[in-house]
Amino acid sequence: MTDQTVQPTPVKPVSRWHIDATDIARIAVFAAITAVLGLPGAFPVFGSVPITAQTLGVMLAGAVLGAWRGALSMVVLLVLVALGLPLLAGGHGGLSVFVGPTAGYLFGWIVGTFVIGAIVHAGGRTLTWPRTIVGVLVGGILVVYAIGIPVTALVLRLPIGPTALQATVFLPFDLIKAAITVVVTMTLVRAYPRAFRMRPRDRA
Amino acid sequence: MLTLYRPGTGWLHRAPAGPKVFGLLLIVLAVSILPSTWLSAAIGAAGAVVCYLVSRIGMVELGRQIVSLRWIVVVTFGFQVIFLPMESAVANTTRVVAAIVVAALLVLTTRVGDLLDAFERGLGVFSRFGLDPERVALVLAVAITTVPVLARLAVGVREAQRARGARLGVRSFVIPFLVVSLKHADDLGDALTARGVV
Repeated sequence: MTDQTVQPTPVKPVSRWHIDATDIARIAVFAAITAVLGLPGAFPVFGSVPITAQTLGVMLAGAVLGAWRGALSMVVLLVLVALGLPLLAGGHGGLSVFVGPTAGYLFGWIVGTFVIGAIVHAGGRTLTWPRTIVGVLVGGILVVYAIGIPVTALVLRLPIGPTALQATVFLPFDLIKAAITVVVTMTLVRAYPRAFRMRPRDRA
Repeated sequence: MLTLYRPGTGWLHRAPAGPKVFGLLLIVLAVSILPSTWLSAAIGAAGAVVCYLVSRIGMVELGRQIVSLRWIVVVTFGFQVIFLPMESAVANTTRVVAAIVVAALLVLTTRVGDLLDAFERGLGVFSRFGLDPERVALVLAVAITTVPVLARLAVGVREAQRARGARLGVRSFVIPFLVVSLKHADDLGDALTARGVV
């Protein structure tokens, strides 16, 4: 141990698509967070879409991880579900959930988290209340419903109007979850700022 | 971890995962495009029964699957009856349930590990587009092992709050749970970096 000077690690020019070890951990952990939020305290209400804290995890993934990593964490969760792990609320899993009437909502999670992340983290700036609120409402509710409802109508061969009407039953619960997501996200910025990791090139 | 797999020795259990996925998806697709008539309702229901009998999974499991779908059946049918004639309502409900139970045969007869392997092999096709199958496999493996860890952390957070007499609300649970989970993610990231993942 003669040379005690620590060489500063040169900042590698990372490609836009490169996913490093911290990203891998974050993506995997948020997939797991969303799965765990579907496990306990889940309150399945009469309906084809069970109401649980799971979609809270979906909204939080986009708000905390940002567009790409948030969407990837949902892809990871859904791949694990497709491979047969019962990670969806109520212990559902397997290929069957992707052929059922609620399949569209699952794909909506991927696009929804992306939109949430894109709006909440727009331009890599610090998070603001208005942008977080808009992002969670647009990505977490509007986008998810916009993909979920037509797929339900398609699978059940129902007209889209009544299907959309039926889906609004869940709107109050989703609005509550959106509100919780916004408060939790803005609290988390102060409680654990490391979570909102920005790469040097993001800040530049 | 809990899986949906049911151990067995039938030919569907022994069939390789990749072809099994394609075969079952073909049946699901065929069931899904059936027209909304009495005849196709019968074909869909008979198809599902034949699939469960031929694969030696048995009618008991089919019954268990349908019971687990009871809410989808009730809501789908109840809602359709309002807007569609009885024939369409029955046919659509039967079709959806048949597609779901046939798709369920995959996870009932295939271990998660085997499906994971088949999935990784399948991803190899996309490696020419810059996708790194090993990295994908790593993310999936980390996620699978993290679920039970976080489930334990969630129990810990709840017990800590109960010990302090805190009221159990969504927000008072989610924030500490997220902090310990994301802390765990950072530790995992450091551990991966230390093992040469960049």
